[in-house]
Amino acid sequence: MNPVLAADITLPHINYGAIAPILILLGMACVGVLAEAFLPRTLRYPVQVLVSLVAQVAGLATIIGLALSNYAKKPTLTAGDALAVDGPGLFLQGAVLVLGIVATLLIAERSVERGGAFVAQAAVTAGSEADAEQARRQPSQTEIFPLSLFALGGMMLFVSANDLLTMFVALEVFSLPLYLMCALARRRRLLSQEAAVKYFLLGAFSSAFFVYGIAMLYGFAGSVKFHDIAVAAISSGKSDLLMFIGLAMLAIGLLFKAAAVPFHVWTPDVYQGAPTPVTALMASCTKVAAFGGILRIFYVAFLDSRWDWRPVIGVIAVLTMVIGAILAVTQTDIKRLLAYSSIANAGYVLTGVLAMQKDGISSSLFYLVTYGFTVLAAFGLVTLVRDQDGEATHLSRWAGLGRKAPVLAGVFTFLMLSFAGIPLTSGFTGKFAVFSAALGGGQTTLVIFGVLSSVLLAFPYLRVVVLMYLQEPAADAPTVAVPGALTSAALAIGAIVTLLLGVWPSVLLDVANSAAQFVG
Amino acid sequence: MTVLLVATLAVPALGALAAALLPDRTGRVVGTVAAALAFLASVALAFGREPGGTGAIRPWHQLDVPWAPALDLRFHLGVDGISWPLVVLTTLLTLLCCGYTVWRVPVPGVDRPGVDPGGPAEEARPDDRGRYLVALLLAIEVGILGVFESLDLVLFFVFFEIVLLPMYAVIAVWGGPRRRAAATKFVLYTLFGSVLLLAGVFVVVAGAGTADLVTLTQRGGAGLGHGTQVVAFALLALAFAVKSPLWPLHTWLPDAHTEAPTVGSVILAGVLLKMGTYGLLRVAVGTVPGGARTLAPLLGVLATAAILIGALVCLRQTELKRLIAYSSVGHMGFVLLGIATLSATGFQAALVGNIAHGLLTGLLFFLAGALKDRAHTGELDRLGGLREVAPGLAGLLAFAAIGSLGLPGLAGFWGELFTVYAAVRHGGPLWMVLAVLAAVGGALAAAYFLRLLRRVTHGPAVNAVVGLRPTALAGAELVAWSPLVLLALAVGLAPSLVLALTAAPVHALVTAVTP
Amino acid sequence: MSGYLGSYATLGILLVVGVVLFGAAFAGNRLLRPHRPDPGKLTTYESGVDPVGGDWAQAEIRYYVFAYLYVLFAVESVFLFPWALVFARPGFGTTTLVEMAVFVAVLLLGLLYAWRKGVLRWT
Repeated sequence: MNPVLAADITLPHINYGAIAPILILLGMACVGVLAEAFLPRTLRYPVQVLVSLVAQVAGLATIIGLALSNYAKKPTLTAGDALAVDGPGLFLQGAVLVLGIVATLLIAERSVERGGAFVAQAAVTAGSEADAEQARRQPSQTEIFPLSLFALGGMMLFVSANDLLTMFVALEVFSLPLYLMCALARRRRLLSQEAAVKYFLLGAFSSAFFVYGIAMLYGFAGSVKFHDIAVAAISSGKSDLLMFIGLAMLAIGLLFKAAAVPFHVWTPDVYQGAPTPVTALMASCTKVAAFGGILRIFYVAFLDSRWDWRPVIGVIAVLTMVIGAILAVTQTDIKRLLAYSSIANAGYVLTGVLAMQKDGISSSLFYLVTYGFTVLAAFGLVTLVRDQDGEATHLSRWAGLGRKAPVLAGVFTFLMLSFAGIPLTSGFTGKFAVFSAALGGGQTTLVIFGVLSSVLLAFPYLRVVVLMYLQEPAADAPTVAVPGALTSAALAIGAIVTLLLGVWPSVLLDVANSAAQFVG
Repeated sequence: MTVLLVATLAVPALGALAAALLPDRTGRVVGTVAAALAFLASVALAFGREPGGTGAIRPWHQLDVPWAPALDLRFHLGVDGISWPLVVLTTLLTLLCCGYTVWRVPVPGVDRPGVDPGGPAEEARPDDRGRYLVALLLAIEVGILGVFESLDLVLFFVFFEIVLLPMYAVIAVWGGPRRRAAATKFVLYTLFGSVLLLAGVFVVVAGAGTADLVTLTQRGGAGLGHGTQVVAFALLALAFAVKSPLWPLHTWLPDAHTEAPTVGSVILAGVLLKMGTYGLLRVAVGTVPGGARTLAPLLGVLATAAILIGALVCLRQTELKRLIAYSSVGHMGFVLLGIATLSATGFQAALVGNIAHGLLTGLLFFLAGALKDRAHTGELDRLGGLREVAPGLAGLLAFAAIGSLGLPGLAGFWGELFTVYAAVRHGGPLWMVLAVLAAVGGALAAAYFLRLLRRVTHGPAVNAVVGLRPTALAGAELVAWSPLVLLALAVGLAPSLVLALTAAPVHALVTAVTP
Repeated sequence: MSGYLGSYATLGILLVVGVVLFGAAFAGNRLLRPHRPDPGKLTTYESGVDPVGGDWAQAEIRYYVFAYLYVLFAVESVFLFPWALVFARPGFGTTTLVEMAVFVAVLLLGLLYAWRKGVLRWT
């Protein structure tokens, strides 16, 4: 035995109570895998839905318990400083779970499309006879539930990771299930597989950048812990160049997940090809997780060097808002339109992040939640407009929906108004919060571009509204499926929260404000 | 009394909801009842008034509760002598429009692929969507009242935005043949204006650190650099110039007015435009007077240009509603010129002009709508001799037109007289020239309105007018129009009705904004 | 190279140098090498022997699956070695043992799943 080898290893203390939410999610995901392996086929669906929802509700309850027992006020580091349990961490974990529960409702829906929105056997060659057969008859496979639990658990780990390695592991834990889930659409298999491959390849590249950035920063600071990097940034005698290259690489990896321009090219294709409930999950939860990571890295590790990198990220934010908005105007497919709008929205959150002060954190947190709920409801509605080929996502097919389905069109109009930032919707309060924070942080240019692009972005939304109400439906117009209980619940939650946070934003803003203190 | 203040917003909002949910006729009646209650509440606001505080704005009644403390948003409502006349005008016109809609529902336009919009194939198809029209009118009322009553900049913006979409829907669904283009143009212009307004609000709030209008007006721009004030005023003034509208940003107005259904035109001309002038006075001049002083000459020049251009365009107009729409550009030019003088007389003139224009142009649009419904055309060439066929209608039209051209003794006169007077009092060669030009514009207004009357009411009756049915005025029409006629007479004979209310707050405002 | 934009300038120069170096290498290559195109040069290289059949062949997915499973367990053993060195020391004890058991159990779960899904059967 070589004593030198073992000498440095000390047992890290792990505060299991503080990380219980993550453990619950990942543990229940393992239970889901077991259920998948050993239960008879007919039992799997109800058991998996139950396991999935129970896990998330239990996780959420634990998070609320932790928040109430002062973890937000007295933040703590655990597992050898690898995990931070602090206000933003708990808020983001809670946000991931709340949005995850709503997304799970959409994923579990089986009455809109017979057998569910997912394929029975993903490996069957697309377009073959067997594929057509399984699209008609066989119920969805149920692996989607443990996969989504793993993804959500990974996201929760990601937003509380306090060193770069843990963050990378968490990144992969939530990315890999998402790659798989993208490939599982029941209809349009080729598009779905293309989406998955594209997401996987580009995601792998971005991960490689991330790892390379970790290496650079380790070379710079001699540690992967955020705190040590922050200390090294002030006191290290080494060249800053290493640090900035490392930061740039990290930022590429993170901004890829957040879908910021110019790392956004995967977004429209993946959002379009992936099964719509999964798209909803990605647009809401993944965005929360990605910005959780960005917030923590910028505010904990690189706060003191902000004068150097803020202009660069500012340019990215402007590009993201402007290009997202411009390209959204040209879209003819509702899912792609929502994808580009999600890109532009990433720019708005970045604007809030770049305020680099306390209300920058709270406004970004608030924005992420408001956007998440609205986008979940919007994608939920997209699943309902169908013709014989599945979802009718081409915009021209939506003409005249206001006459055929006034309730659906009304709710969708409301969501579009929220996206457009009309007052009394959460879209307005969210944008107002991030723009005020950015102004307070001296980012006037960003706000100018933000306001301009949000007007530009209002047009595609209003065009959808005009299309639904002021045009006659075509003869073969798609039907509007009657939503099952699960989808109805998801839509109702999304729309009500959008209204509630528009009229009474204090409910959430106060929580976000009291949570907006990172532990360093 | 704070209850009444909230009621003016809550009652129409609930009424809108009820009107949209109830069956058609019931919905329309319930909506009208809500509009009537809102009107009563707004009138009652004048009682038991106690000027609050000693600031530049002394609201009679106010409500100030935190809305989103984290964002520093407050729900601060209040009403004073400047806003109360406009509040009552809004509730009155909405009530009249809702009542009018109970009697007659405009037929929604129909788009069919392959059918020329507005062509003969577009037959009238009565349906049950009248209740939605009432609901939208009430929603617009909530927004406009909110604008007039809010004493917080952000709240002001919120209400300013609320108006946009219902108005768009009113034009786009119930409008005339080219409603789609008109509605789109309206939205484009107004959205553009909203952005500028939001940017201006951000500049003011970020610079001053508060969004409270009372505090901001009291400070009179103190704490904001001159450059910031000029930028903020430019942004705000542009935003309000789109809404008012000020030449050369007025081109949405003729289309929107012409295509909108009668009640839409009445609300548009009667109160929607006032949001622009009121905003310019209370928000732009009130919060950044330094910027206002710098840019006032420019504003004055543009306003005078609007007066002249509006009048000249009117002389060449061949369509009834379009002519009235362009006359609005000229009238609002007078109001803006009054504000641009930055004097107490000018502000008073602007406020009286606002009210007079709301009453008379509202009436004119009602009459034009009635005439178009009967004659199925608005072309001046195809109208004529109305006096012989329908003397009642012709008489009212003459009354409204003469009032609008500024005959002494009717409402339109005072606003224009005081404006010219204020410009002369302001002194300096520029303002003298502007005063003279504005007076010429006023004379031109007489020319085009008399031309209108000659073409429509006089002369031999042409075909379209001979076939006019019914020739008599319906009871509902009389009920809807008589308050406007009476008020126009009252304001014309005793302008002090309005002036007495506005004198004190205008004086306070002028004191605050004068360095 | 100092001042606010100094580090950006360094980065920019680095990028430029990288591009120039890349271009120079290829240009030099292009200038020095002989240039004799031949269709034979475009065929697939198979140890000097003429290639047989198409170059688009389907590979058996099971090779990959088995390879994955092997790599998975091989990599996990890396974590077992340092653990084996320390778990008997004072201060580590039962907790360490249980934690590693959980770790291995999760791995086993994966194996179990693979077995139930029939991945381990070759035929």
